[in-house]
Amino acid sequence: MEKFSQRAFLLCLLAALLAVPAGTALWSRKDTAAYYENRSLAEFPAVTAEALWTGTLGADLESWYSDHAPGRTTLLKADTAAQMNLLRRPSVNGVVSAGDVLLPFLSYEEREAEEYPPLAAEAAEPFGKLNSFIQSYGGTFCCVGIPEQRVYFRDRYPDYLSRHETEASAGDGAYARAMAEAGVDFLDMAAAYDAQGRPEAYYSSLDHHYHYYGAYAAYRCILDHLAEAGWDLPMLEEGDLDFQELPNPYIASRNRKLYNLWPNAERAVTGVQRDPVPFTRYDNGELSDRPLFVLPEADYLPTTYNLYMGGDFAETVLETNRPDLPDALIFGDSFTNALETLLYASFNETRVLDLRHYDAMSLREYIGLYRPDVVLCVQNDTFYYLGGGNNNVWEDP
Amino acid sequence: MAFSSMAFLFGFLPAVLLCYFLIPARWRAGRNGVLLLFSLAFYAWGGARLAPALAWSCLVTWAGGLLLIPGRRGRRAVFWLAAALNLLPLLYFKYTGFLLGNLNALGLGLAAPEILLPAGISFFTFQAVSYLADVYRGTVPPERHLSRLALYMAFFPQLLQGPIVRYGDFGPLLAERRETVPDASAGAARFCFGLAKKVLLADALGNAANAAFAAGDRLTVGLAWIGSIAYTLQLYFDFSGYTDMALGLGRVFGLPLPENFDYPYLARSAGEFWRRWHMTLSRWFRDYVYIPLGGNRCSRRRHLWNLLAVWLLTGLWHGAAWTFVAWGLYYAALLTGEKYLWGGALERMPPSLRHVYALLLINFGWVLFRAGSLGQAGEIISAMLGFAPGGLWSGEAEYFLRQYAWEWVIAVPAALPVKEWIFSRLERRREAGSRGAAALTIFGPKLLALCLLGLSTVRLLSSTFRSFLYFQF
Repeated sequence: MEKFSQRAFLLCLLAALLAVPAGTALWSRKDTAAYYENRSLAEFPAVTAEALWTGTLGADLESWYSDHAPGRTTLLKADTAAQMNLLRRPSVNGVVSAGDVLLPFLSYEEREAEEYPPLAAEAAEPFGKLNSFIQSYGGTFCCVGIPEQRVYFRDRYPDYLSRHETEASAGDGAYARAMAEAGVDFLDMAAAYDAQGRPEAYYSSLDHHYHYYGAYAAYRCILDHLAEAGWDLPMLEEGDLDFQELPNPYIASRNRKLYNLWPNAERAVTGVQRDPVPFTRYDNGELSDRPLFVLPEADYLPTTYNLYMGGDFAETVLETNRPDLPDALIFGDSFTNALETLLYASFNETRVLDLRHYDAMSLREYIGLYRPDVVLCVQNDTFYYLGGGNNNVWEDP
Repeated sequence: MAFSSMAFLFGFLPAVLLCYFLIPARWRAGRNGVLLLFSLAFYAWGGARLAPALAWSCLVTWAGGLLLIPGRRGRRAVFWLAAALNLLPLLYFKYTGFLLGNLNALGLGLAAPEILLPAGISFFTFQAVSYLADVYRGTVPPERHLSRLALYMAFFPQLLQGPIVRYGDFGPLLAERRETVPDASAGAARFCFGLAKKVLLADALGNAANAAFAAGDRLTVGLAWIGSIAYTLQLYFDFSGYTDMALGLGRVFGLPLPENFDYPYLARSAGEFWRRWHMTLSRWFRDYVYIPLGGNRCSRRRHLWNLLAVWLLTGLWHGAAWTFVAWGLYYAALLTGEKYLWGGALERMPPSLRHVYALLLINFGWVLFRAGSLGQAGEIISAMLGFAPGGLWSGEAEYFLRQYAWEWVIAVPAALPVKEWIFSRLERRREAGSRGAAALTIFGPKLLALCLLGLSTVRLLSSTFRSFLYFQF
């Protein structure tokens, strides 16, 4: 029996050692992207003398092999399930299951409260310049700060985990004050949501974005705010919309990192206009037939937050051909996507830019070219201090 | 190339096994040639630019050995010359930066070149010196075949992290050895266990250690202790795991390597710890430095000097930094104290207290070893003694206990000879006629080894899990 066990063991081991390279050779060309990780898989590295000499070839081959190992996704999914359900780790793949919501694991390293005011003043300065520029031709500029899901639900974190409380309180507060000091009209949606009792329904439990109800509340606040500034804009009332819960499973960013293994029944919601405002759409300069809500072909197929406007584009233009209404420019992160499905109905022409992707001209040049009556910047609060992207709003002429 | 990589496990390893075992056993030179070629490829994987240092060491050692044949004139000079030609690259690659840094700290303003340290240079240099010393002493004959000496120096299982092998043990096996199924099976199982030690335990506990050592002002008493204990365990599982893999592979190829660890955390004194930890290095320093200096058969003053010299070198061998010097001197002080001051009192203490004494001292020693600077070591040790900037306890400390709860629970028994206890009990029951015990003894370790290989592979793959959150915004 001893001999048999030894031979059987060695055979099994050798089979395992050979199966992986054989499987990789057979199937490695099939996958080019890791869906759950939302990234491209490593490409086979070029074999060059320099790569051999410096050793980068070995490191690159290791990345490629790890990415293309047969059954990688299945194994990682099983590992995630074991980490979550069997080992019950507080954080799995960087996600924390905090009761009924999924939150990101946050580093314990955080800025001190007193570090924020000078950083906020620095961040607000270009917005102040942009504001002066827009006001110089009679336009209105408003910045809308929206709490990210982890900030909105930060009280759900277990006590022993970092919730970046200082960033959420001192950081957000300093930013709002600095924007006011720079003369920028700043609409703090965290305060607005607080005033409404911080309804849970406003935010997704699985995604870093708000839910469509949160977006609708933000839309109402923005239009009320613009009305206070003197803009009489048509508003989509609740009665004008049919809030529909989609039948499709909702693969949100946080649950996506958990291979969609976290049990939930959350569904995406759309606000379909009962009497739709017609529009002509252009994406990145091309005429587009994309609707406001890009739905999967069948009910069993999953949806993501990208269903709103079809995801992020460098530039989108929605024309409603109602010249009696003002024109708008919205720039910001993906929190704009759900808002765009509502806001366009209040304007003649709505231009949308995502400055992380748009590089045809500077924002100042773009605004100078189109001179929109209303300019809205929509950002979630975790971006306030990051710089770049949609904070890159001004360069001196 | 790391053992705990996909390229090694599922590329290099099956390739070398197939090429090696497809060659008939009677063609020994062919099998040795396969091992040498794969060993050189293994080394060059990290960058062919590192290979000249190894090639130089092989050539100098081989030529030096031939010139050290007993009866030749000028052997002493040849020995010192060959040893120096081996040690000079080590000194250059490893200590130039340290030396220039210290000179610049004195205000000299010397330009410090960027020097890439060839992997494993400390190990293969020590093997080369031991070979030269043994040939010089006449305890081993010089090796005439360059390929055999090169294989001794570059044998891939022990090339990067040891154990440090003596040519007297290794050389004869190159000419005659037998690879057997029982040896291959036992070696392969040991390899899998070593891989699991490294990937499942050491790497996970390393996260807790890294966080504690990077905590700065957030450091609490609890976090400092968690971090230092995590590092104590990480280092053991990392190094002994690597050694298990090396020894396992050596056994597969019929080339048994010397044991390097004997459950060091069972030690009841600093002296005993060093008889159980990195044993091949301790033996090297004993045989090639300590005893030639006079060992302990000399005056007390001379003995103290010998201890100091050996431990200063031991510290510096581990790394070119003042923390390693301090760590070496720390053990010199402990061993001197145990020899001349409190050794008698220690012997009279209950074994459990002696164990606690040793573990505490080892743990403090590893803080010195791990710290990036003497200042950081001071901060961590102060925190462990109650003077932490962040107070007594923090959520971060609790997180690292919870997140790695399973690793903590498994690591403690895994650092003890629990496996041996279980097997001796099973063996007794097997001898008493228990079929269940017999089946468990025969199949248990092999099944467990396969499971651990699978789990380690999944962990290796999951360490490549990375999602780009900003891509989604």
